[in-house]
Amino acid sequence: MEPVVKFDNVTKSYGKHVAVENLNLSIERGKFVTLLGPSGCGKSTSLRMLGGFETPNAGRILLGGKDVTRLPPNKRNVNIVFQDYALFPHMSIAKNIAFGLELQGHDNQHIHRRVSELLELVQLQDFAKRLPSELSGGQRQRVALMRALAPDPEVLLLDEPLSALDAKLRQQMQIELKSIQEKTGKTFMFVTHDQEEALTMSDTIVVMNKGKIEQMGDPNTLYGKPGSVFVANFIGETNLLRSTVLGTEGDVAALNWNGITIKAEQGGLTPKAGDHLYVVLRPEAIHCSAAEPTSVNRIKGKIRQRVFKGNHTSLSIEVGDGAVLNTLVHPSDVAQISGEDIWVGWKAESTTVIPDRHAHN
Amino acid sequence: MRNMFADAPRASLTAAYWAFILYLLLPLTLMMAMSFKGANYIAFPIGEWTFDWYVQVMQDKQFLDACLYSIMIAAATTVAATTLGTWIAMLIVAEGIRGQVVIFAIACLPAVVPGMISAISLRIFISTIDMPTGTMAIILGHTVHAVPFVVVMALTRLRTMPGNLVDAARDLGADSVVAFFRVTLPYLWPALFGGMIFCVLLSIDDFVRTFFLGGYRPTLPMLIFAKVQGGMSPEINAMATLVLVVTAAVGLYAEYMTRRARTR
Repeated sequence: MEPVVKFDNVTKSYGKHVAVENLNLSIERGKFVTLLGPSGCGKSTSLRMLGGFETPNAGRILLGGKDVTRLPPNKRNVNIVFQDYALFPHMSIAKNIAFGLELQGHDNQHIHRRVSELLELVQLQDFAKRLPSELSGGQRQRVALMRALAPDPEVLLLDEPLSALDAKLRQQMQIELKSIQEKTGKTFMFVTHDQEEALTMSDTIVVMNKGKIEQMGDPNTLYGKPGSVFVANFIGETNLLRSTVLGTEGDVAALNWNGITIKAEQGGLTPKAGDHLYVVLRPEAIHCSAAEPTSVNRIKGKIRQRVFKGNHTSLSIEVGDGAVLNTLVHPSDVAQISGEDIWVGWKAESTTVIPDRHAHN
Repeated sequence: MRNMFADAPRASLTAAYWAFILYLLLPLTLMMAMSFKGANYIAFPIGEWTFDWYVQVMQDKQFLDACLYSIMIAAATTVAATTLGTWIAMLIVAEGIRGQVVIFAIACLPAVVPGMISAISLRIFISTIDMPTGTMAIILGHTVHAVPFVVVMALTRLRTMPGNLVDAARDLGADSVVAFFRVTLPYLWPALFGGMIFCVLLSIDDFVRTFFLGGYRPTLPMLIFAKVQGGMSPEINAMATLVLVVTAAVGLYAEYMTRRARTR
C-alpha cells in the first residue's frame, strides 16, 4: 500500500544548526505513529515541515502521493493539535470546531451535524456554547483534537499535546487518544519526548536523535530489541553492561563484564573475541532469589538500596567490584528477600546485545 | 491618638492625595456651579439657580454646528488612525521584517513632538503642496497625532497573543487575510476599541493643530476659545460642563468595556 506520508531525503537547517538531516520516513495509512526523542532532536521540526510551517532546505515531502514540500499550511490536508491547544479565545467551542469546516465551504446544516457528532465523540455536547476559557485543561485538549479532526485531514499531527496536563489526566487522555484514533481510523502522527506516552499509544515509534532516525519499529521491538545504546537508554529503564567478547558458541557469546563472565544471545551479530559489546538487561528480566538460581547467568550480590514503588520494589544490587544492577521485585517475592545477600539470575535469551560504535579495537 | 503620630509618612501621603483631588476637582466644580447661576457675571454667592444657560446653549446654532464638525473630524480621524496604527503594529510584530525598532520609534514620534512644532510644520507642509486649510488638513493633523496611541495599544495586545493562534487558523485552511480578519482582529478588538475612544477624545480636545490647520468653520475648542476672548460668561460654563460630562462618560464607558473584554 502506498504510504500516506513520505519524507524523501529531507534536510532542514537553521544557519549552521542542522535540525533534520536526510530524513527518510514513510508512514502507513491508519497508523498511530510517534516521533520520539529528546528536545532538539528534530521531531517537532519534522512535524512542522509536514504541517507547512517550515520549508525544508532539501528533499521532498509527499502527502497522499502528492508533493506538498512548498505548499502553504492552508493548502495541505493535514491538521495540527498544538501543544497549548491554540483555541480561538473569542469563539465558542462549537465555533472553534466549525472553523475548518466553514473554510472548506460546507453548508450550515452539514457543519452543524458534523460539530455535534464530534462533540458527542468526546462527550462535550453541553459545552458547545461555552468559551475556551470556561473549560478545564482536559476539555480544551479534547476540543483542540476535535477542531483538528473536523475538516477530515489525511493525517492528524499532534505536537506534544499532553504535556500541559497533570499525570493522572495524561494517562486518561493517552487511552482516549488511542481509542479515538481507532474509532476514526485516521493516521495520527504524534510527537513527544515522553517514552511512556509513545509506548502506550503507538503502532510505530520512530526514535529520533540529533536530526536523524535512530530506530523505527513497534513498541515491543523497540523495548525488547533496542538497536542502539541511545534507544536502550531512552526507552524504559535499563542496565547497560559494557562487555568484552571472550568467545562464541553457536548463537551465544561469552562476555566479560567487570570481571564477571556472562552469556548472551548474539541476535544476528557476529562478534570476534576482543570486541566490545553492550548488553541490554531490563530490570524485569532479572530474577532475584535467596537460593542460587539455575539460569545460565547467576551472580551473588549485596542489596545496596530498596525503594518501595507500590506495585513493585526496586532494588539496587552490587555485584562484584562497584558494578550495580537495578532490578524489580514483585510484592509477593519481597518477603523471601530479607538480609543483604542475594542471588540474581537471567537467561541468555532475555538480553539484547548492541555493538559499541565508539570502540577502538 | 498615638497612632496618628506614629504613622506620619502614611498620614502625609494621604493628605497629599486629598490635596491633589481638591486641586483637580475644585475648578471643575466651580465651573459647573457657575453654569447654573442666574446672573450675567461670575462671582459668589450664586443666589438664583437657573437652567437658562443650558437652554441658550442648546439653541445656539454656532455651538451645535461646532459640535457636529468636531464629531465628524473625530470620526474620520479615528477611522484613519486606527487603520494605520493597526497596520503599523502588525508590521512591527511581523517576522522577517528588519528595522522594527526604527519603525516603532518613527511611529511614536508624533506623540512626543510638541503640538506647536507639529502644527507649524504641518501648516508649512500643506501650503507647500498647495493644499487648502480646512477639514482635510485638520483630519491629517489629528491622524498623525493619534496614530502612536493606537500603535502602542495594539502592540501591547498583540504581544500577549499566543503565537500559534494564527498558525492554527492557517492550518485549518485560512489564508493570511482570512486569518487576520477572523482571528487576529477579534483578538485585538478590546485594545482597538480603547484606542478608538482615545482617538476621538484626542481629536475633540485638540486645539493647537486645529488652530493652525483649520479654515473658517470652527471646531468646538476653537469656538469656546473665540467666545472666551469676548469675555467669560455663564454660557461658556454651560458649554464646558456639557463637554466635560459627555467626554467623561465616553471615557468611563470605554474603560468599563475594555476591562470586561480583557477579563474574558
